[in-house]
Formats: sequence, C-alpha cells, structure tokens
Amino acid sequence: MWLPIFGLILGVILGLLTDIRIPEEYSNYLSIAVLAALDTLLGGMRAYLQNLYDEKVFVSGFFFNIILAASLAFLGVHLGVDLYLAAVFAFGVRLFQNIAVIRRILLAKWTKSPEKNL
Amino acid sequence: MKKDIKWGFTGISIIVGLMLAIQFQTVKQPKIADTRDGWELRTQILAEQQLQSKLLTEIRELEAQASSYETQRSQSKETALKQTLGELKRESGQTKVTGDGIIITIKPLAEAELLGETIHSISPELLKRLINELNMYHAEHISINGQRVVNTTVIREINGEPKIDGLPLSNYPITVRVLSSDVQNLRDRIKVSKVIEQFFIDNLSVEVSDPVKKLTVPPYQNAIKSKYLEPAGKE
Repeated sequence: MWLPIFGLILGVILGLLTDIRIPEEYSNYLSIAVLAALDTLLGGMRAYLQNLYDEKVFVSGFFFNIILAASLAFLGVHLGVDLYLAAVFAFGVRLFQNIAVIRRILLAKWTKSPEKNL
Repeated sequence: MKKDIKWGFTGISIIVGLMLAIQFQTVKQPKIADTRDGWELRTQILAEQQLQSKLLTEIRELEAQASSYETQRSQSKETALKQTLGELKRESGQTKVTGDGIIITIKPLAEAELLGETIHSISPELLKRLINELNMYHAEHISINGQRVVNTTVIREINGEPKIDGLPLSNYPITVRVLSSDVQNLRDRIKVSKVIEQFFIDNLSVEVSDPVKKLTVPPYQNAIKSKYLEPAGKE
C-alpha cells in the first residue's frame, strides 16, 4: 500500500528537482491530463479495494483517459468551445464518487477490524 | 500477483507525481513575479533604466561607427569609380546638363519665302557640318530639337526626310542648343564661320543667340549601343 504513495512522492520530488517547465499555452492540456490521471489513480484504488482490479484495464485506462482529455481540450480550443470543461466535470464527478466509495470501504473495513490495517 | 499490482500502481503514481510537479511549477511561475513590493519594483525599474541608458549609449556608439564607415566609404575607391562613371555618363550624354551656352535657330530665309522659292528641308550634310564646326570650337554638349547629339548620333535622310536618330527634322525652326565652357569664344567663331553661308545658300538663316546662362541640354533618350565594344581581357 505504501509503495504507490512513495512513488507519488518520488514523482513529485523528481519533477521539482528536474525543474521541467512546459510552455504556458500547454498548461491547460497538462492540467486536464493531471485531472484524468488522478481520476484513474483513485479509480484504480477503488477497484483494488473492491477486488475488481485489473492491471491491463488500469494502465490502458490511465493513458487512454489522459489522451482523451488532452485531445478534448485541444478540440475545444480549436472549436472555440470550452470542451475541456466537459472533461473537468466528468473527471471531477468521478473523482468524488471514487473517493466516496474508497472512504466507505475503508470505513467499513475499519469498523469491522479496527486494529487490522490493509 | 500482488507485487505486480503494486509495481503497476507505483509506475502510474510516479507519472502522476511528475505531471503534478510540472503543472505546479508551470502554474506557480507567474505568481512569483506578482509578489514584489514597491521597493523591489523600484529597484527593477532602476536596473531597467540603466539597461536602457546602456543600450542608448551603445546605439550612439554604433551610429558613430556607422557614420565613420560612411565617411571612409565616401573616400574609397568605390566612390571614385562612381564619380568616374558619373563623369563618363555626363560626357557621353546620358545625363541632363545645365550650363552656359548659346541657342542657334535655323529657319527659312524670310526673303526667300517672299519670293516664293521652295524651301527644302535641311540637308543632313549641312547639319553634320554645323556640328563638326561646333565641335571644332570646343562645344561640349549639343542638342538638336531636344535630341541630344552623342558620339553615335546619326543624322541622315530617310525617304527624303532629314532625321536625327530617327527623329524627323522637317519642321522649322530647328533649335540647336550648344553648351561650352567658353561660350563667348564659341559664339564669335560660329558667327563668322563659313557654315552659316552654306545655310544661306540653302535659303536658310541661322541666328546665333547671345550667351545664355543656365541653358539645359536634355539627356540622350535612346540606349547607347556598343556593338563592337568588349571588355579587354586580362593581360
């Protein structure tokens, strides 16, 4: 359980240390991609806790969601419609749902056996 | 199995972390610029002003340099060449020339007209002779009826009509403008020259004006053909 969190921290440190910066005009795409990635990550966690986890689904979903979100934002920019808002909305809703499910599962597990951690 | 899950998850986590960090850095960047207080801004302005004055000094220096180059260039061979070219053009009749000169007007003799004699158009030989005479007395630039006379100018009869470089000379009066550095001398000599008498035989009178200041002779209008001229090979 701790390894993914450690990986997240490692990624953040790596990103901060390497001082990578993307051009201002692409920051929209990256933000939407980050949202998609977070959503996928939480979805994966939820699936894992529900014992529905599938490695292939998770990894493919991760990249597919990111690409879809970024291309949606790209299309929105070129159509003059803020299409990325659709992605933000969809991912935001799913994010909250996933978090709610995770919270419930964790809560249920904790009330069942308080001393036993995952 | 569980290990695999963790590795996949970890890899994705690292990527997400990296993306987060990059996004954070990208978004965070402009905010730093906005947190400067008045004093910092003042310092910044001072630095920019110093840079500006430095750049201005640089511009001034470069301009001075450019002008010095310009001066050097004007004294260089190229300018000499250009000057020579200009002089040659002037000499060959490709430029408009203004200077002291006389105007020679050729028109039919009034007496002959009264007597009803037919006035023939001017004969090219006569005109050529006049030009030769003028050249003999150091005429520098000549134009006939606004057509500049250059070294290759042709005066001849085409179908009974006298023409100078293709321009007909059938109508009188014919005006010849002559520029010279010694106008008075030229005028005196042409007045007593025999060519005037030749004109008289053809029932034509020649009037030589007093020296005129600022007389303008037009440039040669056609292209000067140098069919047989070639640049000399290197020796």
